[in-house]
Amino acid sequence: MKSSFGVFVSGLVLACCLAAQPALAQQPKLIIGAVYVGSVNDYGYNRSFHDALTQVARDLPGVKLIEAENVPESGEAESVMEGMIQQGAKLVVPTSFGYSDSARKVAKRHRDVAFEFAGDGDTERNFGVFFGSTQRAMYPMGVAAGKMTKSNKLGFVVGIPIGYALGNVNAFQMGARSVNPNVQTIVVVTGGWSDKAKEAAAANALLDQGCDVVSMHVDSPATIIQAVEGRGAMSIGFQSIEARALAPKGWITGLGFTWAPFFTSVAKSVMAGTFRGEAVYKGLGEMVAVGPFGPSVPADVQALVKKSADEVAKGFNPFTGPLKNNRGGTALPSGATVGADQMGSMNWYVEGVVGRVR
Amino acid sequence: MPESGALTALRNSGAARSVVRTGAICAIALAVFAAILLAAGKDPLKAYQDTFRHTLASAYGFSELVVRMTPLLLAAVAVALPSRLGLINVGGEGQIYMGAFMASAGAFLFPGAPAWILLPVVVSMGFLGGAIWAAIPGVLRAAKLVNETVTTLLLNYVAPLIVSYFIFGPWRAVENSAYPQTSVFPAGAQLPTYFDTRIHAGLFIALVSLLVYWAVMEKTRWGIEMRAIGGNPEAAQRLGIPVPVWIVAALAIGGGFAGLAGMGEAMGVAGRLRQSLSPGYGFTGFLVSWLAGGRPLEILFMAFLFAIITSAGDALQITQGLPYAVINILLATILFIVLASRSAPGTRR
Amino acid sequence: MTTPLLIGLLAGAILSGTSLLYATLGETLAERSGIVNLGLEGILLTGASVGFAVTVITGSAWLGLAAASLAGGLVNALFGWLVVTRKANQLASGLAMMFFGFGASALIGAPYVGAVIAGLPKWRPSWLAGLPWVRSTTLFNYDLLTWLAVPVAILVWWALFRTRWGLGLRAVGESPAAAFAAGRNPAALQYQALCIGGMLGGLAGAHLSLSLTLTWAEYMTAGRGFIAIALVIFSKWDPLRAIAGALLFGGAEALQLQLQARGSAVSPFVLEMSPYLLTLLVLLAWGGARRLAAPASLGRTFYGSN
Repeated sequence: MKSSFGVFVSGLVLACCLAAQPALAQQPKLIIGAVYVGSVNDYGYNRSFHDALTQVARDLPGVKLIEAENVPESGEAESVMEGMIQQGAKLVVPTSFGYSDSARKVAKRHRDVAFEFAGDGDTERNFGVFFGSTQRAMYPMGVAAGKMTKSNKLGFVVGIPIGYALGNVNAFQMGARSVNPNVQTIVVVTGGWSDKAKEAAAANALLDQGCDVVSMHVDSPATIIQAVEGRGAMSIGFQSIEARALAPKGWITGLGFTWAPFFTSVAKSVMAGTFRGEAVYKGLGEMVAVGPFGPSVPADVQALVKKSADEVAKGFNPFTGPLKNNRGGTALPSGATVGADQMGSMNWYVEGVVGRVR
Repeated sequence: MPESGALTALRNSGAARSVVRTGAICAIALAVFAAILLAAGKDPLKAYQDTFRHTLASAYGFSELVVRMTPLLLAAVAVALPSRLGLINVGGEGQIYMGAFMASAGAFLFPGAPAWILLPVVVSMGFLGGAIWAAIPGVLRAAKLVNETVTTLLLNYVAPLIVSYFIFGPWRAVENSAYPQTSVFPAGAQLPTYFDTRIHAGLFIALVSLLVYWAVMEKTRWGIEMRAIGGNPEAAQRLGIPVPVWIVAALAIGGGFAGLAGMGEAMGVAGRLRQSLSPGYGFTGFLVSWLAGGRPLEILFMAFLFAIITSAGDALQITQGLPYAVINILLATILFIVLASRSAPGTRR
Repeated sequence: MTTPLLIGLLAGAILSGTSLLYATLGETLAERSGIVNLGLEGILLTGASVGFAVTVITGSAWLGLAAASLAGGLVNALFGWLVVTRKANQLASGLAMMFFGFGASALIGAPYVGAVIAGLPKWRPSWLAGLPWVRSTTLFNYDLLTWLAVPVAILVWWALFRTRWGLGLRAVGESPAAAFAAGRNPAALQYQALCIGGMLGGLAGAHLSLSLTLTWAEYMTAGRGFIAIALVIFSKWDPLRAIAGALLFGGAEALQLQLQARGSAVSPFVLEMSPYLLTLLVLLAWGGARRLAAPASLGRTFYGSN
């Protein structure tokens, strides 16, 4: 017993000695800490951030990137962000909506660290919010779907029914309706951003209902696209256009985030000391890009989609009243619009969408 | 079974012995984990160095340990108390969720009330939630209908679904993109935090609970009776002791402590009710209690150890690029060593 | 063409229920020999991650499947060493295995996240494809695991109830001391049950990653191991009843998604709760005849011999 006690004590002493050593030299100019709710290899949401941030670290000299994957949307995130700040991070990027509370608490404690939160809410001097306005960009996606569908039923898998997701669904349906008056969009909610087995089952349920084009708002489109491809249906991707590799036959087109230019300018402002937290929502052409078309899409459809995308990039807003909701009431009165910064509080489905908001 | 003086003396020196034993177990586990780290291509010394700096060597890191320890203490008592009666409570998860649920209900019922009214309400509701949830298996077991291991386990699934129903439905907050969570609790219901860290008043509740558990078990008639009944329930029944009542009471009170953990996580840590309330505290609490043999002081040590390990997971992810989940291997290794070494019959379970 | 709700439900239930059934069968074997393995979730995750990793490395889903099964058997053998040879507490050991599975699977699977695999091939007999409603659904278009699910259940039932080995196994589960006195070797039988059970569990996990989702993600089994433990109880430790149970539990998940696809208003959470509440009710109903259901020595450590 005396010997094991001795081992214990000497181990403790050794640990203290090790901890006292200073960190290695070679300080980078800026350390960016990124927190992901899933894995960066997901062909989707998390990958889009990973790709952009690693590009920034490559392009700007002296920038180092620390990443934490699979961080749950709970108090754990606070701990992770604190850890990154301890490592010297001066720009923290919490990439999932559920990190809002944790990120804000940490930001209050560390006024000298810049935060860019992917979501909405109040901004502070050191806390900015941003997102890519995919909602309007979903309109041309709907156009593509509306033209390609034969059954007039479109499927949409939603992870968590937040305002942004509802907006995506609505724009999708409206775009499809504009070229195909008989079309409807069926929505199935899985309850989580990344529950693979449920996503596969949801895709199957939609296909059982007769949908032949499926899109989604979940972290990774991979599982759904593969399930849809396996049953010979078509898919429209979301989050990352790399996903088209998964559906060689059925891919129509898709949306992907292009965060790199935004993060480059943010990183530069942090290094220059001029960072100010703002609300930045950019859309098609800036933070969002349309993916290449699949082999089965005819040239006239491609032209139609491109035209629609151009209109959106020039400022066309499909969320302009009067719009009816899917319960027979009015969603937007005549003359009203929903702007990109208000998308988070959307709480209705447009006419033609099969699904319940709550 | 009365204890002889010799046994008492042995147990009194047990405190020092358990510290040493814990240390020896840790040393072996660290060595095994270092081997795994090497196999994964990482430098174990640097990993441990970074972990130490992140967890123990910084004030914030230490505060994080305390935050993680708080629900573990309560979850462990939730298992230890019924175990004195020979009952197995693996339902900590469900009891935690129901405690948080009832506490939230209390907070939303009286949103405008001041803290000195609302806090006791919330704490009592938290206890009540967990107690009711554990009483159901208690009643079923007392009526000799179903084994409590099974029922407590099954109810673990139902509780988070009840919470989800309310979070996605009637209690959903409309701000923040309608993300499924409740609104922030009224200020009177939130547990105060200290030193600009995440340490919250739940810590005192946890420590007091541990103290109460110790006092009742060691110093009161009930505690001694419980062990007697647990040792030979048939004899106790014949002596006229209402064993079924004890069964329900033990499980209910144990569940109540777990409910307090849930209340603490909701009111003290998160500030609202969310699906991600508990990352398995119920099961970890079971392991803490089991490793500690149900003894209060060892529960404190073991909870601290578990807190260090889970905190190390963050450090390893950020500094070494390892998935956080790898820390579970370290946890499992420690458990393996303890499990494999307790082989002789008659060893305390 | 829209499939009727029942057909869609059946199709979804079969897909979802396959891995549940294999996991349940594995756990049934273990529990019939008197051992509770709460760490089933860890076995499933190990199977899923090993299966996926080997498939990516070798390009063959069959090798992945074999590796997954082997891995599951090995992990359960380790569990067996703890509870049979070292006579450790079964519940704590099971939870330890669960943590081990969490960590090992994350470590094994991490380099392969995002890899694209073809997965297990699917077959549909052409005469079945001609039936109405079948062609446009997933019905009868299954991989090997799903096709063999019911036959394997029958095989397990036959082994348990129609062979000497099974008789010995069940005797150990009822009373190891009596079995030992009758000349059986409780330890050997329990190890065998655990190894085979572990292999079935590995297959269950592999089905998720190699067929259902064609991917690996941490914790992707999402509690299926625990559902299987509940299923064992629900099916009264009977492999044949487990088939119905797996369909029921698999169906509950499919039901809420299919109902959503039809625009129904039923809360998905209430639906997901129903199998567990049903299990509780069923347990209550059998309460009086409890002695006939669970193996009498379930969870108890046998100290009589090595």
